[in-house]
Amino acid sequence: MFSKQKPLWGKKKKLKSSYDVVLIGGGLHNLATAYYLAKNHGVTDIAIIEKNFIGFGGAGRNTAIVRANQRTQHNVPLYKEALDLWPVLTKELDYNLMFNNCGNLNLMHSEAAMKAARTTISTAQFHGVESHLIDAKEAKELVPALNISDDITFPIHGAMFHPPGGIVRHDAVVWGLAKGAAEKGVEIHQQTEALAVGTKNGKVTSVTTSEGVINTKQVLISAGGYSAGLINGMLGIKLPISVLTIQAMVTQPLKPLLNHVVSSGAYHCYANQTLKGEIATGAHMDPWPNYTNLSTAHFIKHQAEALCEFLPCLKGVRFMRIWGGLADMTPDMAPILEGNNHFDGFFMNCGWGYFGFKSCSSAGKYMAEYMATNHCPDMLKPFALKRYEEHKLMGETAALVSYSPDN
Amino acid sequence: MMNRLNNLATLQIDSSRKISFIFRGKRYYGLEGDTIATALYSNGIRIFARSLKYHRPRGLYSLDGECSNTCMEVDGIPNVRCENTLLKDAMEIKEQNVKGSLENDKMSVIDKMDWMMPAGFYYNTMHKPAKIWPIAMKQIRKVAGLGTLSPDFKMTGKYDEIFPTTDVCVIGGGPAGMSAALSAAGKGLRVILLESRPVLGGFFEYRLKEYKEGQSFHERARELAAQVEEAENIRVFTHASMIGAYNNNLITGFQIGRESDCFDERYIEIRAQSVIVATGCIERPLLFENNERPGIMQTGCALRMAHTYGLLPGKEAVFSIGHDLGLETAISLYDLGLKISCVADIRREGQDSELVAQLRERNIELLKGSVATMAHGAKQVNKVTIATVNGTASQDYNCDLLVASAGLTPVTSAITVVRGRLKYDDHTGYFLPDQMPEKMHATGRVLGLDNALAIESSGRLAGLQAAFDCKACSIAEIGEAENELEKLPGPTQGTKLVIAPVKGRKSFICFDEDTTIKNINQAIDKGFDVPELIKRFTSAGTGPGQGGIPGHNLPLYVAQYQKLPSISIRSTTVRPPIVPTLLSTYAGTNHAMFKRTPMDEMQREDGGVFRNIGVWQRARYFSNDFSCKAEIENVRSNVGILDGSTLGKFRISGPDAVKALERVFVSDMSKIKEGRVKYSAMCNDDGCVIDDGIIVKQGENDFYFTTSTGRAGSTIEWIRYHTRYDGWDFHMVNLTDSMGVINLSGPNARKVLEKIVDIDISNEAFGFSEYREFKIKDTISVRAMRLGFVGELSYELHVPSSYMKSVWLMLNEAGKEFNIRNFGVEAQNVLRMEKCHIILGQESEQRTNLLDVGLGFLWDRNKPKAKTVGAVALRQAESDQTRLKLVGFKMENSGRAPRDGSLIVDEKVRGYICTARDSFTLKEGVGMALVEGDLTKIGTRLEIYEDECGDDRIYGKVVQMPLYDPEGTRMKM
Repeated sequence: MFSKQKPLWGKKKKLKSSYDVVLIGGGLHNLATAYYLAKNHGVTDIAIIEKNFIGFGGAGRNTAIVRANQRTQHNVPLYKEALDLWPVLTKELDYNLMFNNCGNLNLMHSEAAMKAARTTISTAQFHGVESHLIDAKEAKELVPALNISDDITFPIHGAMFHPPGGIVRHDAVVWGLAKGAAEKGVEIHQQTEALAVGTKNGKVTSVTTSEGVINTKQVLISAGGYSAGLINGMLGIKLPISVLTIQAMVTQPLKPLLNHVVSSGAYHCYANQTLKGEIATGAHMDPWPNYTNLSTAHFIKHQAEALCEFLPCLKGVRFMRIWGGLADMTPDMAPILEGNNHFDGFFMNCGWGYFGFKSCSSAGKYMAEYMATNHCPDMLKPFALKRYEEHKLMGETAALVSYSPDN
Repeated sequence: MMNRLNNLATLQIDSSRKISFIFRGKRYYGLEGDTIATALYSNGIRIFARSLKYHRPRGLYSLDGECSNTCMEVDGIPNVRCENTLLKDAMEIKEQNVKGSLENDKMSVIDKMDWMMPAGFYYNTMHKPAKIWPIAMKQIRKVAGLGTLSPDFKMTGKYDEIFPTTDVCVIGGGPAGMSAALSAAGKGLRVILLESRPVLGGFFEYRLKEYKEGQSFHERARELAAQVEEAENIRVFTHASMIGAYNNNLITGFQIGRESDCFDERYIEIRAQSVIVATGCIERPLLFENNERPGIMQTGCALRMAHTYGLLPGKEAVFSIGHDLGLETAISLYDLGLKISCVADIRREGQDSELVAQLRERNIELLKGSVATMAHGAKQVNKVTIATVNGTASQDYNCDLLVASAGLTPVTSAITVVRGRLKYDDHTGYFLPDQMPEKMHATGRVLGLDNALAIESSGRLAGLQAAFDCKACSIAEIGEAENELEKLPGPTQGTKLVIAPVKGRKSFICFDEDTTIKNINQAIDKGFDVPELIKRFTSAGTGPGQGGIPGHNLPLYVAQYQKLPSISIRSTTVRPPIVPTLLSTYAGTNHAMFKRTPMDEMQREDGGVFRNIGVWQRARYFSNDFSCKAEIENVRSNVGILDGSTLGKFRISGPDAVKALERVFVSDMSKIKEGRVKYSAMCNDDGCVIDDGIIVKQGENDFYFTTSTGRAGSTIEWIRYHTRYDGWDFHMVNLTDSMGVINLSGPNARKVLEKIVDIDISNEAFGFSEYREFKIKDTISVRAMRLGFVGELSYELHVPSSYMKSVWLMLNEAGKEFNIRNFGVEAQNVLRMEKCHIILGQESEQRTNLLDVGLGFLWDRNKPKAKTVGAVALRQAESDQTRLKLVGFKMENSGRAPRDGSLIVDEKVRGYICTARDSFTLKEGVGMALVEGDLTKIGTRLEIYEDECGDDRIYGKVVQMPLYDPEGTRMKM
């Protein structure tokens, strides 16, 4: 810590004319994929192409919540592994990712919600993930600030308590993975825009960037909210993805008040306290597809209304900052991971919606395996694009999702 | 208490009205008009807070809350910016983030350990070995954060909200804003003017310098303010900060109420046709060693302390400034009795010659081309080192006040939050508006203007530009106003000095986050070489002050450190709320938002236990026995009455009504016979069931149909969307609220209904699945259907809402002899489950299609007229056996029913329980489940996994559906 500061992810290098693998997008999924390609598979001739700066999209805009209490058996193991990887990565990368294993409390406001929670909890327990259904009083014991009286819009019936979840310092994950990947030889090219993917005879041949053309046989596009547009624009593959702005905000910093992540589906609201002491909150998306990243007047007001009801002490704290990010939503709230399907050597990893942060480590790990072996790991098989063609949605949400009338 | 200056025209305090308050448990006094900070200052308080990381002492620096230096706990509310919170009687004020006292903070030793804490040091420490991290984290959480909020804190006060619309919204009530408001109002437009301070006037208000012959700036401010207040079409909100600007000129803000107002704070959301940004300037902090010691304040702060609050901020001062306002302040304060050792001006030339002459007259030493490099004094400044800007020569001056400011910086956040673009301007050194958002105009000091007349002229121009947006002004008039402005002096040259000639170990670029220049260097060396990355890595600008302190300096310094040309300097992002805003203010007043049926009150009187269901409140139980045994048994053996008014109800009519219905419903609607009820369902493009309901024909091309409770809101949009290209001629009316529904069910239902109707309702005259329209007592028109949702003889009566109570009372009266009683949603849920009638969302989920729930028989594949939404998907999914399918089951060995939501498993999850109950009717545990195709065969054993079951399993067996009355004789009787 006393030595002279060195660039964390290597000195700026000139873009070469060829790489074994090109990853488009400098977000968490590609950083993780690059790291695992290098670490587990010895593939190090990799260029990460980022139009802006690493971690500028969803990686730096999410509210850092991690958990493995998904609804289906396809998802739970992937997120469980991601959850288990935070301490491992902290050690491997020698970078403190600040995993705060504080547990998640998901409030339920009706009998129907309790039933839905039981399916999710049972699925977690069946897969060895700790998660419990608790009543309102037990929830209040965990979070003394909760209002469990009947005089609020959505009285609290109980909660899904998931102790292994928590929050991770999201920026640290970006920088840690960038550092880890760069140490193994991966090149990160910021301020470099990918313009086209070249193909010949059904095979990937090149990537054209703002800094020159790269010859390569393998390309992965994982650019968060921009993935669907890039994949369609560059390769003409249309994906069932709606992109929506999702907003989050923080209050002024406070001494420890919330020791868990608290969330509520009925209120469309989650809240947790960052290590800096801010209460971070957010939840639902804009009601129509857009790429604006803009915050709206309605949303911050809604968030205040919600928090003032179920965490009424927060009436006395001030909102300090709101921001927006993009969520790329699929019809079933589960991602699309696919490779060598439309073109040999072309891979995609997108459609994570607002789950991209919690999954990045394990998704990157398996995507690396997919690319290195050209064989889809079992873990990723359920996430193939063809499920939409077969009208077999994943069932990650119980309720129907409707981002727009055509969805 | 310090003596106040008297007889200043600019004073905002009333010396005759003392206000008492409690600070750290002790009683103090301030004056009416004081802010908390000025009241404390007048009582000798100089240290207001301790900094976040190093616990350095912090004092009054600005008066507009650009940093957390004066954040305290007031009446239990943490992080209150005392410098712009007015003092109120009996306020209780406490310091925050202090171990010990403000004067002696035990944590301040951390200040000496900064060498251990380079930028981002957290990321490299405390994780080896892994087990120390949770312990370290606990400590970090304790030392982080500023104020303390108790989990049982109860907010008092009234929080209001208003949503006005206007032609022109002017943000900022200084000379430019007031001129703009007057010129727009002069065009007959409605104007709203927002001013964040309690009085109008901006930077004219507190200055006594001559504006023109015989008139001071203060007098000019009052003159303009009087004109504004007299103008009938200008609505002025003082003490109202703008906090957000959004697309299409939606401006949000909040106002702090006065004693006489009916609110403590109120949220203001303004929709304006045109917006004028007249937010003026704040000061650019001067970067030097210990630049945030108590006793150091900005020029505006020092001047306002004296002129507005009557407090001379020190005895002996040094000035280190970079703008004429600094010289003016020195002269003004000298004249009020402040001793001034010297005035160091960053500028070598360019000072206003008159001000220089006035300094000379007063024998105040002016050091051109000089700047403060270090403040001395452990807790309060007692000495300052002044050096030439290139660092060659230096000299120390004793003082108890250092007025320090590098110059000005326009407040442009109102522009950038709506994606207006700024550009670094070499002449002024400011970020000036480059591309303004549509129908938004910048004016006055935001444009870099300095000259008073130019500022006002620019305000008038902006007023006309806004009027032009509202079509109330001609281009020619704007041209004239532009010419007028052009003749006046433009922006003056600003100072270019980014940082005094120091290394920067204790030069704070961000006070809130304790970020030093050295930290910025470290971040850049680590590869975080743009301001936005540096903000993330060092936290600079992310504290309670919202970047007010580092906003301008950070990009300048980053460019200077990397020797980048000024063209590359980009301003950092500002995000709403521009001023930190209480959640209670944002929340405003909360209204009850659920819809209530006409029967709401009567059912509550009957002991109904209500629940929120979608947008409605419905009676779920009618006793504390949530198993609903009595309610259920009464329906099975006698007669029950249920309020079903929450069903979606619609009329669709017109020549193409059938086609429209067929587009969304899976059945063939042309086959509906008059007098019959048709049950059908809707799917989405994946074939998944989204709704079900009944359709009846009321006449030629005239249908009445229902949807489920939750779907009522979106049905019309759904139909319209899916017929949008067809040009069909049909009309829809949503009757959900105008019609109520009564469900009368049970073997005695007919006997009850007979008593109040005149028509023959025998099974022969009004059979199962039939529809009748009739009138009760020749007055109340009723649409009646024979349905069997709960599996018994059942009438569903659709009645105009206004008559619901009457019919309800008549039925109850008629049913008295049978002991008719209410049943609620849960009883209905169990009754229909026994009959294996599904409820969408309960026996289906997102991925469940029509065939999966056994409703395939509703789908007419050969419908001629319309393509059906979802039909393609249904065809494709028809032979897929891996999908989850609905089955009925009974528990093995008379076991209890599993809890809803439990899983069906083997080595994997194979399905889950939708609804299951210990059935009073069937005397065993029964239910419905969604299971994978290969488990649907009758007799299949289901292994059930409940939450918390460990290794225990319970077992059920797939049985034929329906479970109750398989022949359906009871509902057809």
